Amino acid sequence: MTAAIAGLGLTEVGKVYDPSASDFAAKAVRLAAADAGLTLSDLDGLLVSPGTQGRPTLSLQKQLGLRDLRLLNEIHALGASPANMISIAADAVSSGSASAVACVFADAPLTPKGSARDAFGSGPRRTPTGFAGLNVGLGAITPNVFYAMAARRHMQNYGTTSAHLGAIAVGQRAWAAGNPDAQFTEPMTVDDHQNSPVVADPLHLLDCCLVSNGGAAVIVTSAERARDLAQPPVHVLGWAQSHPGQVMLRGSDFGLRTGAAQAGPAAMKMAGVGVSDVDLVELYDSYTYTVLVTLEDYGFCAKGEGGPFAAEGHLAPGGDLPCNTGGGQLSSYYLTGFTPIIEAVTQARGHAGERQVAKREVIVVSGSGGVLEHHATLVLSPNAPEGTR
Amino acid sequence: MSETDNRAWPQFQRDSKSAAFFDAAARGELFIRRCLTCDQRLAPESGTCLTCDGTDLEWTRAEGTGSLVTWTVVERPPNRAFTTLVPYTIAVVELTEGPWLYTRLTEGVPTAVGQPVHVEFQQVPGGEHYPVFALTEGTPQ
Repeated sequence: MTAAIAGLGLTEVGKVYDPSASDFAAKAVRLAAADAGLTLSDLDGLLVSPGTQGRPTLSLQKQLGLRDLRLLNEIHALGASPANMISIAADAVSSGSASAVACVFADAPLTPKGSARDAFGSGPRRTPTGFAGLNVGLGAITPNVFYAMAARRHMQNYGTTSAHLGAIAVGQRAWAAGNPDAQFTEPMTVDDHQNSPVVADPLHLLDCCLVSNGGAAVIVTSAERARDLAQPPVHVLGWAQSHPGQVMLRGSDFGLRTGAAQAGPAAMKMAGVGVSDVDLVELYDSYTYTVLVTLEDYGFCAKGEGGPFAAEGHLAPGGDLPCNTGGGQLSSYYLTGFTPIIEAVTQARGHAGERQVAKREVIVVSGSGGVLEHHATLVLSPNAPEGTR
Repeated sequence: MSETDNRAWPQFQRDSKSAAFFDAAARGELFIRRCLTCDQRLAPESGTCLTCDGTDLEWTRAEGTGSLVTWTVVERPPNRAFTTLVPYTIAVVELTEGPWLYTRLTEGVPTAVGQPVHVEFQQVPGGEHYPVFALTEGTPQ
């Protein structure tokens, strides 16, 4: 039995304040089930990934009144969690241990008076301790600092430039113009990127993703069952994870190569496709740099060539490798690894409106968590796998 | 030991795993871990040897010299505690013995990977001493 995504639920996203993360999650699951043409009682699996506030949790089952689940777990792999949840759901559906699994993430880091910095930059209220405490004392905190050092190393080794990174941001902003859910749609130029404030050099503000409140969910079921449901099935052809570990020692490839180099080829092999078969990519874009290094590690260009590749326009509207076609986390909204998944499912269904790409047979999706410590890849398609049609 | 930087860098506390490291810093020594099984030198926070999986590690004094792996000048304060401290430079330093450390550079903005650096020590006002690094005059390696 092969697996397909049969339902998609996306709540209001952005600066929406009333519901808690758990409420966003419950709403997303209800929306996804309804989208699939299922009722909540049809679900026998629930996978939950908590956001910055530690919710939603397993108690989402109680909030939704779900009974007799055959699969229930919290998944903690940061930005790789949504793709990991779908992988686990696909395994469960393929083995028969569950038949309809909701995978959900929600977060509510923004408050009416707070800033993105308050959401992700605040240290713990107690005095930090030990070596983690030393990093706080040094000021080596927040993802901005560590991703900046990763990007710097890539630049120093391969000649990547800030303008190369800017090309990624500019291309995604152009895509966002066609996405009604996008928070930022006004056109952007590389000059705008270069003139945006430096956050932690070499990263400018326009290299960094947004922070959003909201929730997203998908329903994974068997391809056979999905055929009879309300939406065009989106088949899960391949999946893989990679958790390379952090090597604080001479010879470490920090910033140069990531877990994508292992997970990408593995997922494509499972799907029976190669990079030349891929029609579009939806790549986790915590930062512009994350997209660049993932493209290289997946093999869409040679190692070190990601900057020129982006600057050549392959990724933007009109290019031959459409990338982050909804604007991504840089321009549309941030729901961690669900941002690329939602866009991939929307494109695979052919429901992307004015931003719909023509060729959508093979879609590669990435998730990335921590500072390049956790990676997940999905290969999705509107077509059922070979031999099952 | 360099002059103490009296600016209000955030407070932190030692724990049992880091106590020897901070005691050493107070003496002006940079401590790293050494694997008793295979002699590999490891970063201070290590619990397992990356070469042989050994867990018998001891503290050993590092020379305090190394080279720059990467860096960033932090312009936007990560949180309110850093409002008056930006800009400052965070770096990854590769010690001569091999381990990598996250650190802060005391002054000067680097220009190239591989620039030589050496350890200095600072103290959180009323708190722990800790290592920071400075660019060493000379030709980049």
